[in-house]
Formats: sequence, structure tokens, C-alpha cells
Amino acid sequence: MRWGLENVRVSYGRRVALDGVTVPAESYRVTVVVGGDGAGKSTCLKTLVGLVQPEAGAVRRPAKQRIGYVPATAGLYADLTVQENLDFSAEAYRLPAGQRGPKEDEMLERVGLAGVRHRLGGQLSGGMQRKLAVGLALLHAPELLVLDEPTTGVDPVSRAELWRLISRAAAQGTAVAVATTYVNEAARAASVVLLEAGQVLASGAPDSILGSVPGALGVVRDAAARPTPLSWRRGADWRVWAPSGELPAGAEPASPDFDDAVVVAELASEERRDG
Amino acid sequence: MAELLAEAADVSRRFGSFTAVDTVGLAVAAGEVVGLLGANGAGKTTLIRLLLGLLQPSDGSARLFGAPPSVAGRRRVGYVPQTLGLYTDLTVAENWSFTAASFGVRAALPGRISGWRNELVGALPLGTQREVAFAVALAHRPDLLILDEPTSGVGPLGRARLWEEIRQVADHGAGVLVTTHNMEEAQECDRLVVMADGRVVVGGTVAEIVGERTVVEVRCDDWARAFALLDANGFEVQAHGQGVLRVAGQAAGVGDLLSREGLDATVGLVRANLEEAFLAIISQPAAA
Amino acid sequence: MWAMVTKEFRQLRRDRRTVAMMIVLPVLLLVVFGYAASFNVNTIPTVVVGPQAAQAAARLHAPFDVTQVDATAGRSTAQSRLQDGQAIVAVVTGGSRVQVLMDGSQLLSVLTAEGALAKMLPAGAAAGAAPPVSVHILYNPRLTTSWVMVPGLTGLILVFIGTLITSLGVVRERQTGTIEQLAVMPLRARDVIAGKIAPYLMVAAVDLVLIILVGMGVFHVPFTGNVGTFALGAALFLLVTLGIGVLISTVSQNQGQAIQLAFMIMLPQVLLSGLIFPVASMAAGVRWISWVLPLTYFIQISRGVMLKATPITALWQPLGLLALLAVVVLGLAIVRFRRDLAPSSRRGQSADPQQRGTEAVAA
Repeated sequence: MRWGLENVRVSYGRRVALDGVTVPAESYRVTVVVGGDGAGKSTCLKTLVGLVQPEAGAVRRPAKQRIGYVPATAGLYADLTVQENLDFSAEAYRLPAGQRGPKEDEMLERVGLAGVRHRLGGQLSGGMQRKLAVGLALLHAPELLVLDEPTTGVDPVSRAELWRLISRAAAQGTAVAVATTYVNEAARAASVVLLEAGQVLASGAPDSILGSVPGALGVVRDAAARPTPLSWRRGADWRVWAPSGELPAGAEPASPDFDDAVVVAELASEERRDG
Repeated sequence: MAELLAEAADVSRRFGSFTAVDTVGLAVAAGEVVGLLGANGAGKTTLIRLLLGLLQPSDGSARLFGAPPSVAGRRRVGYVPQTLGLYTDLTVAENWSFTAASFGVRAALPGRISGWRNELVGALPLGTQREVAFAVALAHRPDLLILDEPTSGVGPLGRARLWEEIRQVADHGAGVLVTTHNMEEAQECDRLVVMADGRVVVGGTVAEIVGERTVVEVRCDDWARAFALLDANGFEVQAHGQGVLRVAGQAAGVGDLLSREGLDATVGLVRANLEEAFLAIISQPAAA
Repeated sequence: MWAMVTKEFRQLRRDRRTVAMMIVLPVLLLVVFGYAASFNVNTIPTVVVGPQAAQAAARLHAPFDVTQVDATAGRSTAQSRLQDGQAIVAVVTGGSRVQVLMDGSQLLSVLTAEGALAKMLPAGAAAGAAPPVSVHILYNPRLTTSWVMVPGLTGLILVFIGTLITSLGVVRERQTGTIEQLAVMPLRARDVIAGKIAPYLMVAAVDLVLIILVGMGVFHVPFTGNVGTFALGAALFLLVTLGIGVLISTVSQNQGQAIQLAFMIMLPQVLLSGLIFPVASMAAGVRWISWVLPLTYFIQISRGVMLKATPITALWQPLGLLALLAVVVLGLAIVRFRRDLAPSSRRGQSADPQQRGTEAVAA
């Protein structure tokens, strides 16, 4: 099944939040929307689930009954226990009464929270809260799972577990759309949409984005000052991008990784804006 | 020999029967950027409080600028918490003047953020807020900078630019201690100290920490079936995009299992990344 | 230290609701209080019945406001006027004595009437032979303050609790961000609102019964009228109060703001609802405010039913107005709440229907 945004424009009053944005969401695949704060990632996902209406373009999504959504904030009730949260989700999504108990138990096992069934949501650690929120969204086996920054601020162990949950859902046929600021998470997706200031800088499979980095990339080691205007620091080194293909003296050529691809796309966009 | 700005020597801190920090050694010298990497509850915040003298150690010692931590010592420290520590209902200029007055210094608003001087902090985008928080922490020219998750939520270019400023501070002779649980950020540091359950599990550069660790990489067209199969059989498998799976930890028998089920897959060993190394290290019982 | 003071002032200046509360509210309250608070009742609706009605009416002057003179009517008619609340004093002529009936549930008015009557009588006696006058205070013969206050306080307490708690309950969803999720779930806006109000309605109803029972037990306040009428009035009143709570929550970003707004709405009701000072005696400029306060009508209903056994037919006006308020408030609340829950249609740059975004939802 194909869902997603196609050439969508969204404005909040006079401010254009998304302009000509396409975000695909297909069964068995994970699509990641990556960008900095204010890029429009949340707006993309909210448009996808129907919280926001576009003024141009098309949105395809299943009925509310078949969508699972975890917003960037919360996703669960802090003053209800883990079990009570599951009960509410099961009822709101109208799971058949007989199936509720077994499905809830199964989900608790899957997200690793079986031992804290009666703990208040607000007393769970950040990682556990996120896992519960994803569990609540998956309880009714949705066709489309939408997660807004599920791993921001979460500890590494929980983050790996969350991604396993996400991959499992995709392996079982769910279409998954995830927004994140972590570039290394984007590198794992089947489809990436790189967003900045409401526009798509690059999109496609990570390999194809890597392959289409223009110009040349180089590394300058142990320099105190910035070698060229189009340089950025990583660790103690400077990475240099030469759109023309000619690296400055003292720069060793390097093959770009996904992080570089994203930075180059953002730099190119800035050049277009200023130039 | 660079001066040690902050030093913890076999320091421990207990709260009743709970040991938050257990015999931890740490040193931050002038001009270097040290990353404190660990999950929530690993003891990072408690360790920082010990270094600053906000908590007394149960055992061992903490030293700030070569002496036991004191108010005078804390005056030479700049701190940016994860919540930035800015008043969102004040403007940039007002935040600046409040901090400057509190530390008793007169300083002009730096040019970098002066364009935003009359904007309410709450109305600024996150990346700019972080820049302001950073500048405010530097207002009194501290010798030691402590940053908690400095680039959480910021995109790669914004992160690179913030780190440029952090590097500049280190280049001018200050020391920087960064706490994080973000792998991308960890790779920006000169060296890392990895904590879990109150202890230091490993320390060193990224290359040293990853070492010779490997994971099994599986390339398969029918990744969904392969993933489900490996997952159901208890392997620690993660999907990495189109048709690529990585199996960490105990991975013997992956190839056999896949071929037994008739899945056409290429299986090989590749170097682990920092995240995989980190997860492997903290899930092992503590080595000596 | 000065750095701290400067910072606090700057923050305060921007927090408009707190500034309103600290500066505007006290001034407003003082002005309103000045106009509303009047221990001197200057208007007492009076009916005069019986054969000598006309002469008796002629002798009555301010504060008595003679609204009806009916020579053909007798004591029972007069009494039902009091019971219905159409008059506070009834003068019944004919018979060996002139009977002056007073509605004891209108405490201050009755005190004023007694005083005025006492001043008038000696003058009347001097002017000529006048029949003796006997005064009967009905419904609250000993003019017990608690009998009058308990029905009113019941309403006030429910205004406090109902408005405050409902507004907090809904704001909490917005603060934690769970409202977005509710919007994406297959729940309708009215399900969510009804689901939000229903528990508080039930708790408030139990509260109401509890307070009334305590009032009756401790202060021996009577309950002479029809329970069904009282229940109807209470139900409508609670719907309005809770609806106001939801409305407050739709204009508040956090619990602190909701509490401030709830407080600002509750205060006028203490002074202007007729709880203490009779509405009729308020300056016209502030009297209109009591007509839009639900507590005003609840007090009429609760005092009427509990102390005077006022029949439902006589209470159609307060009941009807409460019903109207309920419709308006709940309607507004639903409209505003729906904006939180359902996608808002953004004003597009072009009105061309071809250009509007399309959304395809698979069944």
C-alpha cells in the first residue's frame, strides 16, 4: 500500500511551513524525515495523519482506525499506569473485547515493560515512556505507523530497542514514517527525506543520496582556522566541500558519508539562498 | 603539562544503599574536549555535581582547578544544562544582563547573537536558543565549560556550527566537558569516558573504544523475512535500510539459519560502529 | 540581588494575565463592589389585596414598590405571589387586622421592610382610625441567616469546584500533548467532550447532595419543595458551570492560566448573584451582569424550592435561562474544542477549488 504526502504545501497563517514536499510511506518500508529543529518535520507528520490540512498537494492515508501515531511530546498519560494506558488505547481503537487482554499482554512483552505493568506512566524513564507510547500505537496493528522524533533524548539502549520495534513493525508489513534529527538514524531507512525550512533538499534511498553528492569532499587536519567558507568541523578536523570538484591545497580527498551528504545538501541550499 | 581543570580520583557517592557513582576517575585538561557518554541513570549528572562541589563524595576526592571545589572555583565554570537555563519570557539582551550581573561582570553582547538582542528567547528556533545559551555561559570567560547534551535536537549543519564554537573555546585554553548519549556528538570529542551504572566502563578515543569489534552484516532482498527469522530466533538484529541487516553480539549460526530457510543472503563481517560498540560494552559485566 | 529584581519585573510585565489579576482585578472589584453592595434595600416589590387595597396602597411609599393592587384577591393569592417570588411583601386587607406577609427568604429586604413599616405605622395611627397591623414572616420565620445562605452557598461551592476542576482536567491534556493523539484516534469531538464532562458531572452531583444534606442536618435548613424541580435546576446549573470550565480550558495554555481565569470568573459571582445583596437593589449599571451569571438563577431555584416550595411553573424563567446558558456555553465549548481536535482548514492562498489540497482516505 502506498500512502504519503505528494507535493504538499502547508501554511500557518502567512508562514509557509511546507512547500512542495513529497514524503512516501509504503508497506514494508521505513521512511525517515530528517532535518533540524523548525525544518517542518512535525508538520509533515501531522499532515500525514490528518491533524493539519494542506492547502495544495495530495495526502493519502488509511482511516483513523488503521493509523498509529506518537507525537513528539508525550504519547501516553502520565497519571495512568502502563496497564491503564493500554486499556484506554484498546478501547479507543475498538479492539474486540475478548482480544484486549491477550493483545495487551503480548504488547507488554514486546516492548519489554511486562515487569512494570502497574507503574504510573509518569514514573517511567524517558526510554520506557517512548517504548510504551510506540506499543500503544501498535496495539491495534495499524497499516501506517507515524512517529515524531521517537528517539530524541532517549538513552542508547532504549534507542536500539525502539528501532528494533520499528523494524519489526515494518517487517510485518506496516508502513512506517519517522521524523528525527539524528542523521545516523536516517542512514538506516529505506527512504530518506531531507527537510530544511519546509523544503526538500534531497530524497530517496540513502545510497542514492550519497551517490549524488556533487563536487568533491576533503579533510584538512590540525588547522586552527576554517580553510574555506564551505567547511565545517568534525572532531579536531575540518571537512571541506568543493562544489567545483577542486579541493584546496592541504586537503586530503575523502569519500563522503551520510552525515557529509546532509551537510553538503544544507550548504548547497544556503548558497542558493544567499547567492 | 596541561593544567588539570577538573579531576575525579576514585570518587564514589552513595545515597543510602544506592551507589550512584562508583570509584570513578576522570580528568579534564586545558584545551581538550572530553565527552562523558552514558545512558540516563549512569551517574553522569551526579559526577558533575561532585566535580562542582554541589555534592560531597562518599569516598575518593574531586578537585576543581587543583583545589577542593568551592564557590570561587564555580565562578570559573560555565554550565549549560539540557534545558538551556534561559528565561524564555525574557529577551536575549535581558538574559545576558541578568547573567552578567549575577557573576559581577560587565560584558557586551557578542556580535554573533546581537542580531537577536530584542527577541524573546522563547520565540527563537532551537538552534539559535542553543547559541544564545552557549554565549551566555561564556559571558564571564570561564576556564571550564560543562555542557549537557549541547546539540540535542539540532540538525547536522547546526551541530557542526555549534561544535565550531565549542572547539574555539578549547583552542583558547579552556577545557570542555560534554555529557551526551548521542553517538554523533560523542564523535566530536577528543576522547570519551563511557559510564554505566555509576562506573567507568571504558575510556579513550572513538577508534580505541571500537577497537577490533565486528558485527555480522546480512544483505538479502527479502529482508522482511530474514529480519523476522533472525529476530524470532533471539538474534540482536537491526535493519539498516534497504536489504541490509546487522547482527550484533552473539551471531554464530546466522548464515546457517538463513540458508536453511531458503533465504538468498550474503553474510559477512564488518567493523562495528560506535553505537554497537557502546551497547556491547555496557551490556557486558564490568571488566577489571 | 538587584539583578534578580530587575529580571522578575521584566518577566512580570510580559505575563499579562498575572498583571491583569494584580492590578486590573482589584480596581474592578472595588468599583463593582461599591455599586453592588448595598445593605440598604430601596426596592421591595409589594402586592396589596383585599377590600381596602386601594387605600392601603395609597399609604405605601418607598421602599415599598407596589406592583399589584387587587381588591378581589385574598390571602391565598397574596401568599402564592410570595411563593412564586413575584413579590416580597403582601398586604392583605379586610378582616379585623391588616396582615402584612413577608417572604423570609429575602432576608435583607424583610429587615428593611420591617424597619420601614415600623416608621410608617405611628404616622398612620395619628392620621385616623386604622385597623391594627400584624406582620407574618413566612418561610423563614426567625430570619435565620443560614437558611438563606446554605442554598446559595451550595451553588457557590459548585461554581468553585466545577469550573476549576473541569478547566484543569482539559488543560492537562493540552499541556501533556495527549490532545493531539486523541485527535488522531477514531473518537468524535463530542465523545471526547462528553467523556470529559461526565465524570465531573457525577462527582459534582454527589457533592451537591452532600452539601445540602449537611446543611439540612447541621443548620436544620428545611427542604419543603419538589425534589425533581431542584434536581432539574441543579442539573442545568452544573452543565453551565462545567461548560464554562471547558471553555476556560480552551483559552488556557497551562494549568496556571486556567486557575487564574477560573478565579476571575468566580469572584463576580460572589458579589453579583444575589447571594448576599439583593439583585434588585444593585445599581442598574452592574445589575445586568447578574442576569448572565448562572449562580443568580440557581439561587432563585434553590431558595425557592427549599424554603418556599415554589412550584416548577413559577420557576420557568430561571430554569429556561439556565437551559439557554447551557446551550450557549456548551455550544461554544464544543466549537472551540473541536478546533483542537479536528484539522483546521487553513486559509489557502488561492480560492480555486482545483488548487485546494486533496486528501484521500482509504475506507
